[in-house]
Amino acid sequence: MKEKPNYTEAFEELQEIVSEIERGDISVDELSDKVKRAAVLIKICKNKLAATEGDVIAILKELESNDTPG
Amino acid sequence: MPEKISDRTIFSLSEVTRSIQKTLSERYTRTFWVKAEMNRLNRYPQSGHCYPDLVEKLEGKIVAEIRSTIWKDDFQRINDNFLKVLHEPLKSGINILFCAKISYNPVHGLSLSIVDIDPSYSLGELEKEKQLTIEKIRQEGIFNANKSLKPELLLKRIAIISVDTSKGYSDFRAVLDGNEWGYQFFHMLFPSLLQGEHAVESILGQLDRIRKVICHFDAVAIIRGGGGDVGLTCYNHYELSRAVALFPIPVITGIGHSTNETVAEMIAYKNAITPTELADYLIQRFHNFSVPLGKAQEFIIERFSSRMREEKLRVLNAVRYFKSVTIANLAAGRSHIQHELSALAQQTDYLVKRRRHDHALILSGLQKNNQMLILRCSQHVSQTAYELKKEVISFLKAGSISLGAIEKNVDLVDPKNVLNRGYSITLVNGRVLKSAGDTVEGTILKTILADGEIISVTTTINKTDQP
Repeated sequence: MKEKPNYTEAFEELQEIVSEIERGDISVDELSDKVKRAAVLIKICKNKLAATEGDVIAILKELESNDTPG
Repeated sequence: MPEKISDRTIFSLSEVTRSIQKTLSERYTRTFWVKAEMNRLNRYPQSGHCYPDLVEKLEGKIVAEIRSTIWKDDFQRINDNFLKVLHEPLKSGINILFCAKISYNPVHGLSLSIVDIDPSYSLGELEKEKQLTIEKIRQEGIFNANKSLKPELLLKRIAIISVDTSKGYSDFRAVLDGNEWGYQFFHMLFPSLLQGEHAVESILGQLDRIRKVICHFDAVAIIRGGGGDVGLTCYNHYELSRAVALFPIPVITGIGHSTNETVAEMIAYKNAITPTELADYLIQRFHNFSVPLGKAQEFIIERFSSRMREEKLRVLNAVRYFKSVTIANLAAGRSHIQHELSALAQQTDYLVKRRRHDHALILSGLQKNNQMLILRCSQHVSQTAYELKKEVISFLKAGSISLGAIEKNVDLVDPKNVLNRGYSITLVNGRVLKSAGDTVEGTILKTILADGEIISVTTTINKTDQP
């Protein structure tokens, strides 16, 4: 269980938790922790959907430095 | 009639077009057979007439292009023939052999008026080139290379190969950036020609640039829109198709045309007919992620609360049960104690009574015994007292007899009586003289007699031999 999973991992872990809950594999003792974890994962995933990524200026700079003739 | 102004003959436009029309109609009097590619059929459903774009290409480049017309009735007949021979309707993107007449209209310009098309001359050069490309790509085993990539769940960072002014590009952006779910896409334009003879090298150039910064992107979108269907041959080009197939991240296409799928589109990770549809596809991928996410959230909340309700109920039931059992046990215990208590009281009462009775018995016995004992004791005491008295009297009697005898004896030994009988006591230095040996000549002697003392000095000592 990584602290900062990427969203694919987060999503997979989340689905694992869901199926665990579905199967009733989780005891009440664990349930609270699992739900907390699921909340973190959902947050990561949701953030991913709405996060702004990428920086055109940085990419352009990289392109310029790569565009040197040769 | 043309005007004459300072040596120049000036024609009106209609005079020119009339002249062209006249020349052409005199020069081209009959129909003839022509082969060409019909890039686009351009059929107008309302009128039923078609205005096909005809081209000829040499090594993939267009070397001739002309508009044409097929009137409604001709089209019906030709189309029926096509359906009969090819099992397909007359459509864009095929090579045709047609019978036509050159026609010129002063307003609509030059065109070929098609009266018949030979359906047996079916597959056009475009198709041949396309098939060739597909063949080569398949032989290299890379036809599905781009399709079988396993990209990120979300394709959210998009490198766009398009033209800034293209309607397709702006449609694409509008859908992505204006999505109502707040999904955030990052996109960057890599401007390129998208049709015509330079499109291949232009697109290839941009693919190379993207490759240099590929870590910033999840997918490449080739977006075109608003242009006609002519000039799409570049997407059947082998080099371009190969580059798309081998590109390390998904290439998605929204080239925006209604003709057959080009090879690049076939090979692309995803092809959508229009840029808008392509943008919808990207958003759909977000949905595919977001919807299960939301469902998972709901599910977890629902299951969690129902599970907690169940547990609470279980605990509550356990508490209730515990309570009722406890109360029952307490009641049972209490009644048991009560029972024991009353038994104890009874027992105690009985015992106390019995003891009391015993005591009474003992006491009465004791009293009887005591009286007897006292009686006996008192008898004993009076007997003893009597005997004591007797003894004392006899003792006293005997004592007085012996006392008289003793008194006599005492009188006999009293020195005074002895002295009176003629005896004396001689003292030396205050001490009684008992032996002649205790004196020497000259010793002063004190002699005590009954009626006085004599002091004398020793002159002679004669010892008697007595033991």
